[in-house]
This record gives sequence, C-alpha cells and structure tokens, in this order.
Amino acid sequence: MIDSSWLTEFPDMSRRDLLAIRQTLDGAYRSFSRAYGQSIEDFFNPLLHFLVWFEHLLIQTPWWIVLAVIVGLVFAATRSWKLCAGVLASFLAIGYFGMWENTMRTLSIITVCTILSICIGIPIGILMARSDRARSIITPLLDIMQTMPAFVYLIPVVMLLGIGKIPGVIAVIIYAIPPVIRLTNLGIRLVNKDTLEAATAYGATATQRLFGVQIPLAMPTIMAGINQTIMMALAMVVVASMIGVKGLGQPVLKSITNQYFTLGLLNGLAIVALAIIFDRVSQTYAKRAQRHMEGTENG
Amino acid sequence: MYTKSIIAGILTLAATSSFAAADKCGKVQIAEMNWNSASLMANVDKFILNNGFDCNADLIPGDTMPTSTSMIEKGQPDIAPEMWTNAVQELIDRGVKEKRLSIAGASLSDGGEEGFWVPKYMVDKDPSLATIQGIIKHAKEFPNPEDSSVSAFYGCPPGWGCQISSGNLFKALKLKDAGFELINPGSSAGLSGSLSRAYERKEPWFGYYWAPTAVLGKYKMVKVDFGSGVHPKEYINCITKDDCLDPKVTMFPPSPVYSVTTTEFAKKDPKAYAYIAKRSFTNAQMNKLLAWMEDNQADGQYAAENFMLNHKDIWSKWVNKDVQAKLEKALDKL
Amino acid sequence: MDNNRETLIEIEGLYQIFGPTPNNVLPKVKAGASKEDILAETGHTVGLQDINLTVKRGEIFVIMGLSGSGKSTLIRHFNRLIDPTAGKIKVSGENIMELSPKDLITFRRHKMAMVFQHFGLMPHRCVLDNVGYGLLIKGEKRAEWKPKAVSWLDAVGLSGYEDQYPSQLSGGQQQRVGLARALCTDAEILLMDEAFSALDPLIRSDMQEQLIELQENLQKTIIFITHDLDEALRLGDRIAVLKDGKLVQIGTPVDIMLHPADDYVQAFAKDVNRARALSVQTIMTPNTEKLVANTAAEAKANFPKNKEYAFVFDNDGYQGVLTREKLESLEDEAPLKGALHHIESVRPTDLLQKVIPLSLNSRFDLPVINKSGELKGRLEASKLADVLSPK
Repeated sequence: MIDSSWLTEFPDMSRRDLLAIRQTLDGAYRSFSRAYGQSIEDFFNPLLHFLVWFEHLLIQTPWWIVLAVIVGLVFAATRSWKLCAGVLASFLAIGYFGMWENTMRTLSIITVCTILSICIGIPIGILMARSDRARSIITPLLDIMQTMPAFVYLIPVVMLLGIGKIPGVIAVIIYAIPPVIRLTNLGIRLVNKDTLEAATAYGATATQRLFGVQIPLAMPTIMAGINQTIMMALAMVVVASMIGVKGLGQPVLKSITNQYFTLGLLNGLAIVALAIIFDRVSQTYAKRAQRHMEGTENG
Repeated sequence: MYTKSIIAGILTLAATSSFAAADKCGKVQIAEMNWNSASLMANVDKFILNNGFDCNADLIPGDTMPTSTSMIEKGQPDIAPEMWTNAVQELIDRGVKEKRLSIAGASLSDGGEEGFWVPKYMVDKDPSLATIQGIIKHAKEFPNPEDSSVSAFYGCPPGWGCQISSGNLFKALKLKDAGFELINPGSSAGLSGSLSRAYERKEPWFGYYWAPTAVLGKYKMVKVDFGSGVHPKEYINCITKDDCLDPKVTMFPPSPVYSVTTTEFAKKDPKAYAYIAKRSFTNAQMNKLLAWMEDNQADGQYAAENFMLNHKDIWSKWVNKDVQAKLEKALDKL
Repeated sequence: MDNNRETLIEIEGLYQIFGPTPNNVLPKVKAGASKEDILAETGHTVGLQDINLTVKRGEIFVIMGLSGSGKSTLIRHFNRLIDPTAGKIKVSGENIMELSPKDLITFRRHKMAMVFQHFGLMPHRCVLDNVGYGLLIKGEKRAEWKPKAVSWLDAVGLSGYEDQYPSQLSGGQQQRVGLARALCTDAEILLMDEAFSALDPLIRSDMQEQLIELQENLQKTIIFITHDLDEALRLGDRIAVLKDGKLVQIGTPVDIMLHPADDYVQAFAKDVNRARALSVQTIMTPNTEKLVANTAAEAKANFPKNKEYAFVFDNDGYQGVLTREKLESLEDEAPLKGALHHIESVRPTDLLQKVIPLSLNSRFDLPVINKSGELKGRLEASKLADVLSPK
C-alpha cells in the first residue's frame, strides 16, 4: 500500500507539463501567425475581392432583376413551373419582411462556399477513390472536420486572417465539404466494375475512364453529396456570423442573445427557405440529368 | 456482515451530510459567465460557499442577458457574481423593485472600464490618435479589409448591453460620416481575435473594448478621449437605450459591476449573503489575476484554487475567523 | 477445320498466382506443389498454371471450364486486363508483355475487342454511342463513325434502337449492342467472356446462330469462354478444357466428344446429347468438289474423278445430286435438270439432330451449303452414325 491513488484517479500528466505543452504550442502558433499571417492573407485576397464583388453585385442590382435571374436559373435547371412559383413566393416574402439584403449576403457566401467545396471536394474525392492510402489518411481528417467544434479552429483562423468573410468561408467549407468528398469517393468506388473493365478493354486511358465512365456514373451519388454540402453550409450560417460574417446569421444571433423571438423566427425561416430552395432545385436538377438511368430494368 | 455494515455506514453518512446541508445553506446555483474574471469569481464563490458555509454550490454557464432574465423569472441561478448592470439596467431595476433580485455589493470595487481603444503603438507614432478628432481626421488609417472605401470600427458583440451603447456612441460621434463602418464582430471571441491579430502584427485597430480583461491586461491599448467628459445622465437615459433617437457624446462612466443574488437566497442564508456582499476585487487585483490566468492558461477552477492558496490577504477580509479556519483546512487538502 | 492456318496468338508457360508476393511462390508452383498445399502454406491462390496454347487466325477457339477453373482469368490475359505472374503472350509474334502502357492502350484499341458476360455497357450513353465507344475513345469524330455504328447495329438486328439507353433494352438486346460494339472497332480478335451465359436459353441459341453467321463473313479470330459444353461444341473450331487452372485437353469438338483426354472431360462429354450439341460443320468432310454445269456435256467434262456422284450447281446455286451412272446414260445435249436426285442440302450451322432424318432418307452424302450458297463440304452418313453411337 505505497501509493495506489492511480487506482481511483486517472494517472494524468502533471499540470506543469501540460501547461508547458500548451504554452509552447500556443507560442509557436503565435509566432507562426506573426511570421506568415500577412502572406496567407495575401493568398486569400483574390477570393476576398471576389466575395465582396459578388455580394455587392447581388445587393446593388435592383431586386427584380436578381429575382428574375434566380427564377430563370431555377427554371433552366429544373423545368418546373411549380418550383419556380415557390421560389418566387419565398423571395417575395423574404423581401417583404425586410430581409432581402441579408438574404442576398447569405446567398452570395453560400453560393461561393458551395462552388469552392465542389471544386476542392470532387478532386479530393477522386483521389480518395483511386488510392486506398489516400482514403485511409483523408477519412479520419473528414471525421475531425465534421465533429470538431467550429470555434476550436475558428479562433486560430481569426488570429491569422481577422474576422469577416474569409474565415467565415473557411469555417463553412471545413464543415460542409466532407459530404461531397465522401460521396464522390463512394460514387466512384461503386461504379460497376464490368463497365469500367469494358472501358479498359477497349483501350480507354485513365483520363477517359475517369471522365467518360467513373464520374458520369458516380454523378447521382456526387449530386447527393453536393446537396448535403449545401445543407450543411446553410447550417453554418449562424456560426459564421459569430466571426463577423454578415447575412441572415447576425440577426439570428442577435435575437438569440436578446431573446427577440419574432426576429429570430423570421430570419431562421429565411434560412430554411433558402435551404429548401437549394435542396429542391439541386435534387430536381439531378433527377432530370439522370433520367436515362432509371429506365425500366428488363431481364 | 462486514459489507452490510459498510453500506449502512455509507448510507448514514450520505443522509447526515445532506441533512446538514439542508439545515444551513442547501443547493446554490452560481452563474459562471463566459469571461475569465467572472469565471474566477464564480469558482472562488463556489469554493468558499462549499467549504466555508457548507453549501452545495454548483456552477451553471451564464451570460448577462439570459442569466438576469432567468434570475428574475425563474429564481435561478441564485448568484451572479459579476453582473455588469449597465447592460441590463432596466431589467435589474425591475427585478429589485419586484423584490426578486438583491444587489449584494460591488464585485469590482472600481467598476468596469469601457471605451473605444486604439493600440499604443499607433498613438506613439501619432499622438493625435488618442483623441476622437484625431481618429476622425485619420480615418483612412483604419481600413476595412473587406471594403477599402470605408474605415473599420469594431463594435461590441451582439447580445451584449454594450452593443446598444457603443452603437449609440458611434452615431453620436458621427463616425459614419467620417467614413467608418460599424463592424459586428459576431462574438467576443471574434472581437478579441481581431484585436490580437492586429496587435501581433502592429496593424491599425479601432474598436470597443472593456476592462478588466486579459486582453487589455496583455496588450497596451489607449482609451480614446471623446473630449466630452462623462455625462452619467445622458449615458443612462439615452446611450444605453435601444430607442435613443438623438444620442449625445459622452465618455463611458465606470460601469457598476455588482454581485447580484436572488432575494430568496439573501433571505435563506444571510451569512452566505453577507459573504457575497463583501467579496470584491479592485481592478488592479483583478488585472493581475487575469494576467496570471492568461499566462498559465488557467481555467476558472484552477485560477480560483491558486487565488485561495496565494491571496489569503484578500479573501480573509471577506469572512470571519471561523469560516477562515474551515477554508484553510479545506485548502490543506488541495 | 483446316489445320494450315497461321498462328495468331501464342501463350507460353503462363502462370497466375494471387497473393501479396506471387513471385516468391512461383518456384514452388513450378516445382509441382498442389494448389491446396500452396494455399495452406503461403496463403496464395494459384489461378492458372503452365498454360500453353496457340490460337490460329480466323478460328473460334473456345475455352471451357466450370466456375473457378480460371477461364475468365485466362481470357483477361489476352488483352492484359490481368498481368500474369510469369509467361509470354504473343500476338502476331509480338510479346505483349513488353508493351509500354501507352502501346498497350494502342494495342487494345486496334487489335482486340471484348464482349462481356454482363454486357459492360455504359448506362449513361445511348445505344449508338455504346456501339461507337471503341472508335470514340480512339478520338474519331461522331460524324465519322456514326454510319459504321448504325450499320453494325443493323447487322445485329437492332436498327431503330440508336437513341435508346441500355436500361431500356432486354438482356439479349443489350448483348447484341455489346457484340455490335466489339465488331464496330474492326479489331481482328474478339474476346468473348461467357458472352451468352447470362441470357435465356432460347435467346442464347439465337445469339449463337447469329455469331456463327456473322463469323462466316467476318472470319475474325474469336476466343470464346463458356462453362457450357453444348455451347462450346456448337461454336468451337477447337476447344480447350480448363480444370483448376490447368489445361486438360485441346482439340476439335469431335476429338473432345470421341476421344476425351481424361475422366474429367469424359464426364462432361457423357452428359451431352451429341445430336443437339454438335453442328454439321464439326463432322462434315470439307473441301468437297462441286460440279458446275448446265448440260450433260459440261458435266461430263468436269465430273470429279473417283466419285460416283457429285453436287450440281448452276447459276442459281445448288440443284441436286447427279450420279456418274446416270450421267453416262445421258446425251451430251440433254439438260441436266431431269436427271438430278433432289437431295436437300444442310447448313454448316445445323445441329445434327436436324439432319439425321435427311441423312437416313438419302443414299448419298448430304451437301453442306452455307447461307450465301457456297458448298462448304459434305455430310457422310457413316460419320454421323459414328459420332452418335455411344461408346
């Protein structure tokens, strides 16, 4: 019976050691941020300019032109008058309740985040599908991205890049990109082996197999991933507003902290409306694009 | 047989201890606000109430607005150790009037310090930046990274009382006409993040901040002089009001920072209430403690233990000899 | 068929071992360790061992075996969808194991086309684009290959289906598309991996017939994989029987039927209804002379020597059988028409059961004439009897 406290209490590291580790790492991050912050900021500058430009475009264009373009895009993608009418009604209601500008800001950042997620996510998904080693490295990273509380990485990003759109976009992408990566990987891995083998047998190059067979056949799955990504990006709007991203998130945040229930509800509903619109439009588009796949299977 | 008696013993022990607690103080909920000084105070209160007054005190997370509302409407939590009452003046006034809240005493004896701040390195270069006229004149030196056509003023996080007051002062100082945009930092983390990023790189920064805070303890900042002096009446009647139509310029008066309890708690255990009333820090003491917390990355509990161990000179004045002895005994066990 | 054709494909000493370090296991396999021992000792699976075979230009070479015999693995070596652990694969004398990745792609594009058990069609491309796929990936423009794809689609009996998607077709139709795709590339060699196994029996039989007919005109070299001996006998010029990754026997259908190399092959052959499995071409006597004549004089001049009778053709094709005896009794100017015995001809693709009654009713051999009216050989009653009599 010398010292059996480890039986009842976890034999953890001494506070002094833990402290030393924490201070060293924090110090290292601080000097990193001091040394490279500016160059990293410069790297993101073109994106920032684009974001600002796009937001200005949406806000400063007269509302009816924006609305006409949106409805036009929805129709081009879905060929559904019903959906167009729904979109029109939602946006009119949003505008009527005075949320037009914030909705445009949110729309702009979500659009950019979605496009970036697709541009980054699909190649990563392809890489994962082609290499088991890449998959075994990337999968845990995706798990971390999806479960790590956003502020854990947000504050370091704010230290590096300041508050506003860029850290917001980074936060949204980190949270929203995993589905498109996962489902691209899955979609490509699920492509019928026979079809792929046929392409190889006829002398298709790796590129021809990828773009002529794997991606087109994985498309329904990839579209599901994109859909999920959009939904998750919208869910991050409020979190992003906590580091100064303008849009529907800020009034929501304000109403949460001040208990303005109606304001919160209205802005929350506007976010929901955007989500439903994105969801229905992307799903209808995907279905329309894949119509030939669902022909009746004959024996 | 042997096991049985042990179980019986444990049961008796549990029963007596809970009865003992019920006799004296009972269950107490302490709101632990999400900033360091308040967290430290909440943990100090928890330690002293549990070990000195036989309470069964527990911490629950809080924030100025929701905590005060909950205390008035629900009578929970029992204690808010660091309440910046200016932010929720009306609410507190109503609570006191309806005999739901008791203001026990000042938790920061000097009061909190609020203001618009610029980094000292900027003032060293151009002393005129210590005044609002200088800032307005050199508005271009504070560019907004997202929109180069306007300058940036970092406001108070949403949901805090200071969002209203800093917004009204922004109007009163006509900063918008000077080319400034009021940037909503989204959260206190966003605000402090933007300040430390600028400070680490010696870049310009202009915005609202308050003391005592670790940030203002760590970074050398200069409070901008509005040249107006303090007009408490204008501040209370208009600047802190959401519906203030024509705000006039005034410096922030020192903010009263109180320990607030529910009236029920005050009545239930006057001795514990008396301790809460006496427990108070000066800004100098608090800045020192916050700096220690920052350097050691301590959480509230660790900081409170450190405080109890090393600052007997401060806390011994808050309690009588009896309680002091009890606390010392408890500290020996740490 | 005729044995004088040139060799097109040669496979020498081919081994396929599956597992993490096949090259370390190879010596043991070469030394003759059994499949089971290798698996127990090293965890490696021996897929194919010591395969040696040659395929001649223009023949249908059937590789037959039960599931697990390694036949699908073997066919994937011909175009290197699978690389062997050891061995040489020569096509037109060139060892394709030495091709660079780029040359391998060129080789696959030009030399070989493949038809798959489960069709392997692209569900996102319409039928026409599937047929033209081999040309599309060579970089040819759609406008250039479209007429060709349309005509091949027509050849397999699917004109009008150009704009359908594969999922809208039945299994048999899909495999016709697969066949058209393979033919559309003009590749000399056709690899058919259990191409008809997934189809219903009736459709399978149709497809077999269609393949034989197409082959008569195309004279492609076809490697055909099947687990069905009936199919092998019907299609194959030569058949290789594969068992547990080893070649047991290579021979003509008649060889396989009549002279099985071991009990394994015999067990197979025993269950086969030979009348239904063998086609006329497998037992016919090829290189039969025909007699082209309109008058007795012409017939007398050209009558095959040493023969008691001949198959008479005129401009309208086959007319009937003329005996030497009858001819000699004719005046030179007399027309042949009246002197002929009207013996029905048979097709090379006809199954024996169909020709048995004809043969029984005739005292002559039956002429074997293909779809386009050419005389391919004759069917001797004695051979028929020989094949059909049980051993």
